Amino acid sequence: MKWQIKKMTALCLAGMTALTLSACGGDSPDSRLKTFEKEEERTVTLFSPMEKTKPGADNVARSASEKTVAMAEEQLGVSVDYITYTAEDYQDKTYDDVALERARNDMDDLYLLNPDTIQILAAEGKLMDLSDLDSAKNLRDVVRAANVVDGKLVAIPQEVVAYGLFVNKDLFDQYGLELPETPEDFLECCRVFKENGIETPVGANRWWLETFVFAQAYADLYNGGNTEAEIAALNSGEKKYSDYMRPGFEFLQELIDQGYIDAGKAYVSEAIDGEGADFLAQKTPIVMAYWGAANTETAYGKADFNMLVIGFPSSRGQMPVMPMTGIAVGANAEHAQDALRTLDIMVSDDALQVYAGTNRVISPSKNVEVECVPALKPLSDRINENVFVLGSNASMKVEQWGNTCLIVRELLNGATVDECMAEFDKLQAESLK
Amino acid sequence: MKKRQGQKKDGGVPLLLSIIIFFGILGVVVFSVAQKISVQMEASAIQNLSESLDLIESTIEAVINKDAEFQRLMAQEIALAPDPMRYIQTYQNSSTMVRISLIRAGETTGMSNTGEVFSEEGLDFSAGGTVGGLAVSESYVNFMGTWAYTLKCPVERDGKTIASLYVEYIYDSLDRSLPDGFYNKRAMLYIMDAQSERLVLKPKGMGERSAGHLNLKDFFRANDIQDENLLEEVLESVQSGKNIMFDHDIRDKDSLIYMWSVNEGTLYLIGYVPIEAIQQEGDTVNQNILIVVAVMLITFFLCCAIYFLNQRQQNRLREEREREREQYNRQLAEALQAAQVASNSKTMFLSNMSHDIRTPMNAVIGFTTLLARDADNPEKVREYTKKIMASGQHLLSLINDILDVSKIESGKVVLTVEEFTLNDLVSSVDAIIRPMAAARHQRFHVEVTNVAHEYLMGDETRINQILINLLSNAVKYTQEGGNIWFRIIGGKQRSPQFERIRIEVQDDGYGMTPEYLKVVFDAFTRAENSTTNKVQGTGLGMAITKNIVELMGGTIDVSSEVGRGTLFCVELELRIPEGHAYKKFWQDSGISRILAVDGEQEVCENIRRLMNDSGVVTDTVLTAAEAVRALHEKQASAECYQLLLVDWNIVGTEGIRQIKELHALLPDTVPLLFLADYEAEGTDEALQLPNTGLLIKPFFVSAFQEKILELRAVQTGADTAGAGDAGSLEGLHFLAAEDNEINAEILKEILSIEGADCEIVGNGQLAVERFEQAAQGAFDAILMDVQMPVMNGYDATRAIRSLARADAGTIPIIAMTANAFAEDEKEALGAGMNVHLAKPIDVELLKKVIAKYVYERK
Repeated sequence: MKWQIKKMTALCLAGMTALTLSACGGDSPDSRLKTFEKEEERTVTLFSPMEKTKPGADNVARSASEKTVAMAEEQLGVSVDYITYTAEDYQDKTYDDVALERARNDMDDLYLLNPDTIQILAAEGKLMDLSDLDSAKNLRDVVRAANVVDGKLVAIPQEVVAYGLFVNKDLFDQYGLELPETPEDFLECCRVFKENGIETPVGANRWWLETFVFAQAYADLYNGGNTEAEIAALNSGEKKYSDYMRPGFEFLQELIDQGYIDAGKAYVSEAIDGEGADFLAQKTPIVMAYWGAANTETAYGKADFNMLVIGFPSSRGQMPVMPMTGIAVGANAEHAQDALRTLDIMVSDDALQVYAGTNRVISPSKNVEVECVPALKPLSDRINENVFVLGSNASMKVEQWGNTCLIVRELLNGATVDECMAEFDKLQAESLK
Repeated sequence: MKKRQGQKKDGGVPLLLSIIIFFGILGVVVFSVAQKISVQMEASAIQNLSESLDLIESTIEAVINKDAEFQRLMAQEIALAPDPMRYIQTYQNSSTMVRISLIRAGETTGMSNTGEVFSEEGLDFSAGGTVGGLAVSESYVNFMGTWAYTLKCPVERDGKTIASLYVEYIYDSLDRSLPDGFYNKRAMLYIMDAQSERLVLKPKGMGERSAGHLNLKDFFRANDIQDENLLEEVLESVQSGKNIMFDHDIRDKDSLIYMWSVNEGTLYLIGYVPIEAIQQEGDTVNQNILIVVAVMLITFFLCCAIYFLNQRQQNRLREEREREREQYNRQLAEALQAAQVASNSKTMFLSNMSHDIRTPMNAVIGFTTLLARDADNPEKVREYTKKIMASGQHLLSLINDILDVSKIESGKVVLTVEEFTLNDLVSSVDAIIRPMAAARHQRFHVEVTNVAHEYLMGDETRINQILINLLSNAVKYTQEGGNIWFRIIGGKQRSPQFERIRIEVQDDGYGMTPEYLKVVFDAFTRAENSTTNKVQGTGLGMAITKNIVELMGGTIDVSSEVGRGTLFCVELELRIPEGHAYKKFWQDSGISRILAVDGEQEVCENIRRLMNDSGVVTDTVLTAAEAVRALHEKQASAECYQLLLVDWNIVGTEGIRQIKELHALLPDTVPLLFLADYEAEGTDEALQLPNTGLLIKPFFVSAFQEKILELRAVQTGADTAGAGDAGSLEGLHFLAAEDNEINAEILKEILSIEGADCEIVGNGQLAVERFEQAAQGAFDAILMDVQMPVMNGYDATRAIRSLARADAGTIPIIAMTANAFAEDEKEALGAGMNVHLAKPIDVELLKKVIAKYVYERK
């Protein structure tokens, strides 16, 4: 016993001595001169609508995209600086506007671009060809096709964005309604909702109403087995975009006319911010949004009702609309090599597995499969059946996603369907020059 | 003791309070020091932060003022150019100036250096802000998708404004002049356009989701700054271009938010830094203080722990010592008590002895007095001498017991291990006890069962002593008419060389109390009560018995119940002698087969077992009828019996006629022996039959042999009692060495009564000399005392034996000494004496001994 006490005492004293010494210790001042090394930091700038989370945050707290960025930073030893822009209101320049300007002025290395800007910037030669990246070899054909301009792969997405109708199935059941397959079904549902006191059956914003148009315009083009020929006819002017677009615009017009959509509100509403609250509060039974919104708690990931995501009404039934966002590298990027390497890692199979696993989205890589949430099952089933329309297609000479969005906005702002069609004709005419 | 413990407990409370107060004071001091350091460090950090912000402000102001100054120079150059519009197009864009435009005075559109048409549309100079005296526009997102501002500078020639020079600057260029994060990159820094409250420059690669990078309102929203009064004050300060700081929790961290006016309030540096980042040094100092305090505390508590452990150990040692002392005291008390008990016992013993010795002594003296008076009355003389003899015998036994105890206790007892037979043992014990029991009308039962060997090695005398002690006690402590059982039971042999025997002495007498049972084997104890106080004894018998049993490696146990009787069990393990002449006897006797008839199967078994080693075939039957059958069968065959042994009980149950019938079947040469108890009656008729004899139970082979020899002798007419005459001392002449005159006289008288002559000498030396001088054959034997002056008996014997005379080696020398122990006997024999007789002299014994040695020699 006595021996043990002595040993314990000796240990404690030794520990305390060590603590005291370490507390008193410090760098011995061998020299009075202190030198400072300049840290050379390799940086890559990424223009993105997102912000980076706080450095040092736990990985679980990071967004899916950021996790892939972190992988690249770790593997390459670079620091990816996020440049963001957010419009204060609808009068401000849009993200796409600023993205175009920044890319044209070589302000950044990487850009997260919407399909329309991809096509514009690619046409202007402001984006680098990514065909040689290792990760490009894993892309699904449809993804590759949608991002190739003049034989160059100009952008690679991290997810295949699929848009669909988010419906409150409980309300549909309450009024004994089947989920709509065709535009007519949809109008009937809206009528029933309206008659039952739901003032605005369809919640909308200024960005995504065009999805209705695409579904009706290109249901046959992409699912009729003659896609390439039809696109060729459009590009040559043999066929008119306006002919494709008209039914969708007329359909939207009817929704507006019937009061199923509040055009004024939609015209100034940002995505989800404008219509999300009413949808979650079950005041609006139908909204439109992208796939990821079903997984995201800040969007519709925590609905208190039975939510389902279905395709848009079309002559071929429920139709998912898939525009392709993508990450592109500026043609004159200041840190071009690091940017390419960073992107290569961000869209590698490993990174896309992490991305798809986090957001539970459709991966652009044919090697990555992830199970979706139950609400997305109807939409997922259609995509798996290869039934969808593309919201953007780089092989079409008239950019689709951006232009259609703008023209739909004009419709919301009071333009007639004919005036809108005239805009398409004008754009087509310009493309043929 | 209790009081002291209480005091000790009371002493702990003030100590505890002192410790608490000490640590309370220490805690307060440490806390106040830490607080003071913290406040000082915070003040210092705020000072440091404001200085840093001043530095950044100065840097930004220097950059934009230099830009403005440069723009003035450009305006002066342009004023000198003949065609300002063409001149403007010679400028190249730089990373700072991204567009240079000129609008002639009086016109609304002009030209940019890129050749594009330029107008003031989209530029808002209404706020009236200036940089270096030049009007500055509200910030906007320019054609490059980044935040920018434009300075407007008049181009004057000859004092007249001929045009306005617009140069667009991007905030990104300022970013290069700003520090790459401060406070270890934990401080956030934005540049805000004061007019639009838009955040025009924000940290790259930093920030948090929804950090509020849009405008001031967004900044407040994202950082949860919602206190309206505070916001009002902040906005007022911003409008008046003041520098402000305030603290607020940002994402659960106490932070310092700053808004620093740049360029007289047209721009603002805004951001926040967590207080912990500012107070890092203070925290480090506080941590170090805490470490020191912790070390002090640990040291203190360690010292306390060591002290308390030490105290505890000391207490434990003290308690142990006290316990030991108490134990010693207790042991001492017990020893004292034991000593007192022993002393009391011995006192009582002495008292008893005194009484017991005085009683026979009184008888001796009293009867001697009577003897002197009634010397003429032979009847009275005989009666008195008989009583004097009895008293003397009792005195002798008392003395023997006392001597035995003292010898045993001093470890001087040596066992004399010799061969003996259980038959002799039982016979001698029986001879002593049976009369004693008979005198008290008690029945004495002797039983021997399961014994395989009756010839054993052991100290017969001591075993005898044990048995006599136990049995005489049994007789003493059993009421008249009671029963005494003496059993010898053979046990299971553990080794073929040893016989285990269990001796049981049982009575149905008074019994003993449980209290007395505990001390029954202690010396100087004697059961006394109203029933037994008339019993005489030394109180040493049981102590002697137990010691002897243990000396022999045995055990003795006792169980008793008052009024029911007592049972003593002695377990002994005795060696079986090697090689024996049993078989030879039987061969010599020509007996190879006998028939035993006994009604008890157990007895039959016992006989067979005992006869096992003899080589004689022993058949047993339970009835006379079976015996008759057996005899017929054997007569038919050649294997006839050479001896018939019949239990007397058979006679009792089946009648003498049956026995006679049996006897008739036997040839004349075959003896018939009856096995009978002492008390057996009516044996005379049976014994009148020829060639018959009586064998007293229990059955022993040796007794059996003796009886056979006796029968043979009768048959052959040999005189076995011939030696009886040799007991006479008539005509013998002795030399006796005896220093005690009385003893000498007694000896002389006794011998003269027996018709012998005795010459007395006073010591060994005289005895040697007298013998030396005497003629050959002058003395028949020498009776030698041992303890004598001048020369003792041993030396004298050795001297006599060494004399050069023919009879020196052969003359019987008989030790007659009060040294009565076995070792004395051994020494006597070793010195050359022939035999050892203990005093007082038993005349009969003396006669026998003399007869043996003297007549044999002759």
